[in-house]
Amino acid sequence: MIEVEHLSKIYGSTPAIEDVTFSVAPGEILGFLGPNGAGKTTTMRILSGYLPASQGTAKVAGFEVHEHSMQVRQRIGYLPETPPLYPEMTVEGFLNFVAQIKGVSAGDRASRITLALQKCNLLEKRKTLIRKLSKGFRQRVGIAQAIVHDPPVIILDEPTVGLDPRQIIDVRNLIKQLANDHTVILSTHILPEVSMTCDRIAIINRGRVVATNTPESLMEQLVGGSGYELEIAGNSLAIQQCLKRVKGVKYVEEMRIENMPEHRIKVRVVAESNTEPGHAIAVALVQNGVKLYEMRRVQASLEDVFLELTTEEKPVDPTESETVETEIPASASANVNSEETAPSSTPSQIPESTEDAE
Amino acid sequence: MRTVLANILAIYRRELSSYFASPLAYAIAAIFWLISGFLFWATLEGIVQQAAFYDAQAQAGAPVPPLDIPYEFIRAVLGVVGSLSLFVLPILSMGLYAEERKRGTLELLATSPLTNWSVAIGKLLGVVTFFITMSLPILVYEAIALANVNPAVQPSVLLLGHAGLILLAAAVLSLGMFISSLTDSTILAAIFTFALVLALWVIDLIARNFTGGLADAIGHLSLLKHYTNLVQGVVDTGSLVLFASYIVLGVFLTAQSIDALRFQRS
Repeated sequence: MIEVEHLSKIYGSTPAIEDVTFSVAPGEILGFLGPNGAGKTTTMRILSGYLPASQGTAKVAGFEVHEHSMQVRQRIGYLPETPPLYPEMTVEGFLNFVAQIKGVSAGDRASRITLALQKCNLLEKRKTLIRKLSKGFRQRVGIAQAIVHDPPVIILDEPTVGLDPRQIIDVRNLIKQLANDHTVILSTHILPEVSMTCDRIAIINRGRVVATNTPESLMEQLVGGSGYELEIAGNSLAIQQCLKRVKGVKYVEEMRIENMPEHRIKVRVVAESNTEPGHAIAVALVQNGVKLYEMRRVQASLEDVFLELTTEEKPVDPTESETVETEIPASASANVNSEETAPSSTPSQIPESTEDAE
Repeated sequence: MRTVLANILAIYRRELSSYFASPLAYAIAAIFWLISGFLFWATLEGIVQQAAFYDAQAQAGAPVPPLDIPYEFIRAVLGVVGSLSLFVLPILSMGLYAEERKRGTLELLATSPLTNWSVAIGKLLGVVTFFITMSLPILVYEAIALANVNPAVQPSVLLLGHAGLILLAAAVLSLGMFISSLTDSTILAAIFTFALVLALWVIDLIARNFTGGLADAIGHLSLLKHYTNLVQGVVDTGSLVLFASYIVLGVFLTAQSIDALRFQRS
């Protein structure tokens, strides 16, 4: 339904997006995930025909967005970054205007407007002036204008910005509903949003798509699924040997962590996908007389994938090492591996989400 | 074609409804009515005094130039109202596109299946309709003032003068709309449109006070000169074509500038 090939947009001499390629199948929801300023809005604007691309092609429903702009415009509903609203109009009057210019026939208009109002929970505000609405309601009017003409393709640029948690859930459910007979592409910098609503994710950073896949396989592919973190005392090699024999264990690695108590080590056990070897691991450790101090299940999160893909590759990343450090109990002395200072590639605990990164 | 008309109508309706919902529009209309009402009264008073003076002279036996009081009155009123309008029109046209650009609603229009032409035409029709509403009371005043004139004034003269006023306004608004499409600041749009109006005045002054090839050529382009012609009851196809050209030029430039915006937006 949407095919984007080698798309680039250059502002002056700085590229906003470079060689972006992805496609969205009919009925699918694609989440466009990236930090602020990564080029999400630029891509959306090109798709909607608002901006011309510098290079590459973008097709919506088989029509090139720039050459056949009118055909594309008839087939899309678009919520820009700032909802395009006329403050002096009522919600209903505004939707009526949008339905008119989008070519909804006079007979269908009233029912389409009511449906859009219903879907966006705006029925009680239908006679209110947009000027008097709060930010959350305005955002919802913005979404309503994107779906009022029932377009096959819906492009939403940050649809949940400015909404309260309850409304965010409503909007996510709405987007899921839409996917049944619409193709949806939405951009966001909020991770839970994509993992909850989208069938596929395209992660974009500094104008380049760094990964495209389903949320599950992205996590699988990049972090290696779920696993366990163990704090144990004893011979590192022997323990690793023992753990590797447990069924369902993919691999074992020792985590290099500073400030561990003497003779203690932390190991990370990565499980095969769709297995839960937790019990078997515990049994094996007990049988071998290994002293177990801590055992914790670690679920790889999308945050990890996101951070891994969008963080610059420096030898020591200040933000990442910070995250690791906070997890370590500030216990005394004994530097087990003094030569190793690089941060471990832990599937770290979810940092306090990036929602308020703005 | 039907969808194009429907689109123009949709834009027109939205534009018009926004004028009637806007406090600024009411303020402009109120000030316009106040000043035009005063000017109307002052002109009427002046004409009446002049007529009384001529009467006195005629009774004293002095030679009096022939004077058609009603027509002289219409000419004078439409003259001052025309000048007053030139000050008001930039305020009406300043927000046409600048406001849409500022609010981000241009992004909605630009991604809807509408041509730039239909948006521009719809907007122009909307603002011209608003101006007609503003200028209507003056027509009513004139009709009342001239109701008992003997011999009766032909209504066509009055209507022609007002048609001229509307054409003048439409031409200025069309160019003002183009200026508004160039910026997202309404203040800038207003300032530049005022500059344009001043230029129109200068053109008219040159046309009136100088003779020669260049001055004549400029004179043909003067909106005010052609407006004066219409007010005096002279219907010249050339004048109509000139007004139409200005209007089409404004709409054309607007459509082009909005299209160009897509490319330069960076």
